[in-house]
Amino acid sequence: MKNHQTTRRDFLKTTGLTTAAIGFPTIIASSVLGRGATPPPSERIVMGGIGLGNMGGGDLGNFLNNPGVQYVAVCDVRKNVCNGAKGTVDGKYNNKDCTAYGDFRELLARPDIDAVHVATPDHWHAIMVIEACRNGKDVYCQKPETRTMREGPLMVEAARRYGRVVSGGSQRVFEDYRQVVNKCWSGELGPIKSINVEVGPLSQPCNLPPEDVPADMDWEMWLGPAAWAPYNSKRCDGNFGTGGNSWRSYLDYSGGGMTDWGAHHFGGATFAVDVRELQPTEISLEEDGGKKFLTLKYPNGVLLTHNKPGKGNLEVEGTPGEKRAPKPIPGYSVKGGIYADFLNCVKTRGRPFRDIELAVNTVAVSHLSTIAYTLGRSLKWDAAKQQFTGDEEANRYLDRARREPWQL
Amino acid sequence: MNEAAFDALKTYDWGVEPNVLQPLTDAVVTTHGNAAARLELEIQLAAVLKTDVPRAAKDAVCRLLKPIGTAASVPTLAALLADEKLSHMARYALELMPAPEAGEALRAALPKVGGKLKIGVISSLGVRGDAAGVAPLQALLADGDPAIARAAAYALGAIGSPEANAALAAAKASPATRAAMADASLACAEELLATDRKPAAKATYQRLLGGKPSKLVEQAAARGVKACEGR
Repeated sequence: MKNHQTTRRDFLKTTGLTTAAIGFPTIIASSVLGRGATPPPSERIVMGGIGLGNMGGGDLGNFLNNPGVQYVAVCDVRKNVCNGAKGTVDGKYNNKDCTAYGDFRELLARPDIDAVHVATPDHWHAIMVIEACRNGKDVYCQKPETRTMREGPLMVEAARRYGRVVSGGSQRVFEDYRQVVNKCWSGELGPIKSINVEVGPLSQPCNLPPEDVPADMDWEMWLGPAAWAPYNSKRCDGNFGTGGNSWRSYLDYSGGGMTDWGAHHFGGATFAVDVRELQPTEISLEEDGGKKFLTLKYPNGVLLTHNKPGKGNLEVEGTPGEKRAPKPIPGYSVKGGIYADFLNCVKTRGRPFRDIELAVNTVAVSHLSTIAYTLGRSLKWDAAKQQFTGDEEANRYLDRARREPWQL
Repeated sequence: MNEAAFDALKTYDWGVEPNVLQPLTDAVVTTHGNAAARLELEIQLAAVLKTDVPRAAKDAVCRLLKPIGTAASVPTLAALLADEKLSHMARYALELMPAPEAGEALRAALPKVGGKLKIGVISSLGVRGDAAGVAPLQALLADGDPAIARAAAYALGAIGSPEANAALAAAKASPATRAAMADASLACAEELLATDRKPAAKATYQRLLGGKPSKLVEQAAARGVKACEGR
């Protein structure tokens, strides 16, 4: 597998988003605006939604509530869900203008759409985000943003190559861990030695029996790049469980709790201890009292432990007796949470708080941890090469073949 | 214990509890560092693919071969590349297999498969960064099926070498392949720039700018030129 992604990214870092970047929001005619619209047409961001169930419905609702947004298209492989979302959009604007699609490529091909939200199961994220960038769309992508390690750098490359604003989707990273973040960034804990995170479990193989495919569902499209398998309602249910009754339980579609909650907790932890721009270099599998846990070491010496016995979630160890100068805490570009931050960056062409590169680094922690647990051994990670050092077997877990005809 | 799991594979169809195969998953882990035991396990697994076990069993075997497969299992996996139902899972095991034989098998399969299966094989060659795949992929840039030509372009972009870049430069894009070829050329240019071959990178960006690009590609290429000039 090629290992040049990060070097490419170094170039793209210097050439990507600028204030003069492309793709300012489309100006839409006032005749298509719904009643009660306050912003002038030139300030409205024309959006489409891909994946409307569960979190996708939540994303749609949050964006729709922003008067600076005009949804014109929705896409889902389940017609009933898709039509329901169309109804929501049309109801909001009191018209019938929202178009429902079953194939995201048709939605992305529309030149009038500025930005999309992607809230499908995780195995689709990379393909859709990259294709959206290739079509000049800005993207808000639900977490966990990647399903494999290889996907992350390719998503970042696509965003930088085309000057797109791409935001990851964990609102908790900024909003849920403020006490820990404030303590760390204020300097009162001194130099940070370590932080512990509790998430789990890993996703599992799925071999559920066949059931009849619902009449409104395009099952082949739901599977997409994942291995073919017969329809089963538990295989594809979008609920938040990881115990076997949802796609979040199964490794073809999700990393389980390790990535689903990892996107939040690892995101918060790496933000708190200020390593969110880095990836770990060592992943050590250790054992204490019969319980396995991981210690991930960052290039600056900070340790991130996973499920370390005796430690709580986001429990930080600083340096007692030492203080450090406070640092200004990064945050959203505007008030209104992660959705408003994304929309503001679409207008300003700035980097959102959960810029895709930072989100990728967060999910990388989950993926690297999963590979170490799966192989049952410690690993060394070369972030520049995006390869494990001296472990060709581990490198085979960095990606997996996509079912034809899907390709990154 | 492995014997029971291999027996379970004979009737491993959709709906069977996957834990019956756990001993094989465990064996993948425990044989790490024991080449002889690994090879024995690999040969046993590959042999299953030649039998008439259910599709779910062959699917599971390909997953088990993914981390441990060597040249020893390539011929068996290669034989599945033209199988409509199993081609993907054969690539699942072959795609990141370091053995050069895996790349050779994928290249050999190219003229034997069509449609979606060919796109899958093309994609795997790209992911492998298969240098020897540049020539056959270049030929596919002119394929009558635009989906195959686009796949070949993206694969060349993934390979990203000067040879891949030259192949893209020499190809004639159609309206259906123009965006994919431009994207792949941008990827190659980025790789050239990242590996300190600025003149070649700049030439690629300028070639794109001279070809009536879309606004999106034009701006990407213009940024690339600036980067090449250190601006």
